[in-house]
Amino acid sequence: MFRFFTAAACAAALVPAALVPAAQAEEFSWAVTTDPQTMDPHAVNSTPVLGFLNNVYEGLVRRGKDMSIEPALATSWEPIGAGEGWRFHLREGVTFQDGSAFTAEDVIFSYQRASSPEADTASWFAPVSEMLQVDDYTVDVLTHSPNPIFPDSIANWMIMDSGWAETNAAARPDKESGNHATLHTNGTGAFRMTTREPGLRTVLEPFEGWWGEAEHNITRAEMTPIQNPATALAALLSGDVDMINPVPIQDVQRLQGNPDVKVVQGIEARVIMLGFPHEADALKFSAETEGNPFADVRVRKAVAHAINVPAILRTIMRGNAEPVNQLVSGAMRGYSDALEDAPAYDPEAAKALLSEAGYPDGFSFGFKCPNNRYLNDEAVCQAVTAMLAQVGLTATLDAMPVQNYWPELRADNYDMYLLGWSPGTFDAEHPIRFLGATPNEEKKLGSWNFGGYSNARVDELLPQIQSEIDEPTRQGMLDEVAQTLQDEAAYVPLYVQPLVWGTGSNVTLTQRPDNFFILRWVSVN
Amino acid sequence: MLAYIIRRVAQSALVLLIVGLVAFAMFRFVGDPIDNMLGQERTADDIERLREQLGLDQPFVVQYYRFLENAVQGNFGVSYRQGRPVIDILMERAPATLELAAVSGILAVLFGIALGVFTAIRRKGIAANIIMSVSLIGVSLPTFLIGILLIYLFSVELGWLPSFGRGEVVDLGAWTTGFLTASGLKALILPSITLGLYQMTLIMRLVRSEMLEVLRQDYIRFARARGLRNRAVHFRHALKNTMVPVITVIGLQVGAIIAFAIITETVFQWPGVGLLFINAIQFVDIPVMAAYLMLISVMFVGINLIVDILYFFIDPRLRVDRKGGH
Repeated sequence: MFRFFTAAACAAALVPAALVPAAQAEEFSWAVTTDPQTMDPHAVNSTPVLGFLNNVYEGLVRRGKDMSIEPALATSWEPIGAGEGWRFHLREGVTFQDGSAFTAEDVIFSYQRASSPEADTASWFAPVSEMLQVDDYTVDVLTHSPNPIFPDSIANWMIMDSGWAETNAAARPDKESGNHATLHTNGTGAFRMTTREPGLRTVLEPFEGWWGEAEHNITRAEMTPIQNPATALAALLSGDVDMINPVPIQDVQRLQGNPDVKVVQGIEARVIMLGFPHEADALKFSAETEGNPFADVRVRKAVAHAINVPAILRTIMRGNAEPVNQLVSGAMRGYSDALEDAPAYDPEAAKALLSEAGYPDGFSFGFKCPNNRYLNDEAVCQAVTAMLAQVGLTATLDAMPVQNYWPELRADNYDMYLLGWSPGTFDAEHPIRFLGATPNEEKKLGSWNFGGYSNARVDELLPQIQSEIDEPTRQGMLDEVAQTLQDEAAYVPLYVQPLVWGTGSNVTLTQRPDNFFILRWVSVN
Repeated sequence: MLAYIIRRVAQSALVLLIVGLVAFAMFRFVGDPIDNMLGQERTADDIERLREQLGLDQPFVVQYYRFLENAVQGNFGVSYRQGRPVIDILMERAPATLELAAVSGILAVLFGIALGVFTAIRRKGIAANIIMSVSLIGVSLPTFLIGILLIYLFSVELGWLPSFGRGEVVDLGAWTTGFLTASGLKALILPSITLGLYQMTLIMRLVRSEMLEVLRQDYIRFARARGLRNRAVHFRHALKNTMVPVITVIGLQVGAIIAFAIITETVFQWPGVGLLFINAIQFVDIPVMAAYLMLISVMFVGINLIVDILYFFIDPRLRVDRKGGH
């Protein structure tokens, strides 16, 4: 029904006289699907929270329009000695939005706060042994072992004023019952928050005392959560909001024909893949099959050959996504250019591999899939199920809301599953640590490796990748891991998820693959 | 009579307890809140620790008991999603729902009765027949579709009314109202029509059939024979006698309007308790779901209790029967 409506709405919007875009100069409003659950930059490590707070708070470093790391509250940084850590030189003359000065003390405080057990961001600081204040504008970060990517990994670590936090009894984040920092902010960023009504609206205004040069022309910006995609689309078409994220994939084409709105498309950092039960002794949802066929690499490769990814992208994603051959997209640091393409769609090869593995007639199994986590996830799973049936693999699809999905995967209730992974550090090391490494609770490795994939060489290379300073050597090791994961079909990577934003035709903005909406790059004409 | 009331109150309390128990038994099927509360980089230890902290490792009966224990002290817990007391959030959201429900209810009653009377008196007229046919749409179309059609027509196509939200509201301390600003009033129009349409058609059809029934009665015929004017017959005699069952239904529909606001609120992004509840389900925000469900069931049970007690006063037969008859 919603689809019917959007079709009708868009058709109507094609009539130019029917629409008067509300181009209120320099006031900007945008709609999001998920309201940030907190305004505390250390309490929840999620895209809605960190993406929004990037407009208010700042880190020592930040990501530019092309995702590259650039100076923010630190003006420069260099390694200490032979990889003992990093020295950051802080920007002078920066003030927080309440007027207090930014110094090294705030950095140390924010480190203690963000790495505390109460914080959700503590894992960013796992490589850090100590953080020292050298003087008011110099900070040393000492690491357990050489850490070449540390500056890259802290772009979302936001600096909070120590005095403000302590005065307001918010020295530690409080996820469960909240505190002052849950509803109030005091950052150094380009915008300050003037109104916060959780679930209703959040208002930002430019911070006059910001150290940077303003690129935007916004005087006031209001964010409203709108969960219903049809309502969000109507709000954009009627000019009630200037930007929505996301635009439903099926409406993209029709919006593109509308002169009053623009569709801004890109590729997200998220790779969608299939996962397998590597460790299981037997299938959970098969009547006839004994043992676990997915433990055989030939079966996993057969799955890869059986799936026609270009067809999925053409039909379900309407040509908005890109195929991928590894666990990260090409925009990420450490992407393996050397790796050959993903196994091509070849049902005959798939059948041959299955016969070789001893399943000439295929087998049946259970396929778990979320239905509200990734773009069109259930439709993709249905297509995969149909394609697998062509080579004799009878999957019973069980699609469920994501809040039921993760507990199922943790309980090993699957024979095959769909997973999306977006590397928080924008580095190819990230998925190796979470998906490729043998699960190890103590070392905090492989925490999303539900199937228990394990390869001694990958485990051996991971710490070396984490501490290798020399870029070509590091890339060589990343290439080797990517090759190993592909040879063993540890996962079957399918495609990189698209990003589709809709804006009024008078809005210019920059879309980043991390799906962060950065207000200081927006201008309204 | 006191015994009757006490018995009804006790029954109501029992219903409430059972509703709560069923609700808590269901929460586990809604999903696991833990994954929403922890980021990508959580470990299995973090998950266990938080689960224990929230008491989610306990059987649902224990969770329910703890909820009741706190609830009787006025403490409904802290929202998992917002990290704020549930009672604060509910108080913040209630005005939006109550204002929407009030406007829809008033629209439904006014137009429902007026159109019902009209279609009964002009039973064979063209206008009455058109109204009757159109009213079928109100009864049969799902609320969200009506809402979306209205948005399409009046916001996207014509650009007259806002497509979502509550507009500017005025904060009166404990209450926020949209009645005092132009944008607040404009924002009320589409959602209140959407929410009230079903009730309006229901009332209209009820009034019409009751009215037709009454108009066939002997005393109406005698009233006409006495030479009373049409208006007096219709409105003094017929309508008055029509209203008894209509008022009963209206009373029962008050609860339905508030409870069914969920769908309307979702379509219009209306920031009331219904939208809050939908979001709570998506996030598995158990404290919010529990408080909302208890609130709604208290309301329904309360309305039914009041109606029961009113019957006792209105309908003398009930009193007579209870005494065993003469």
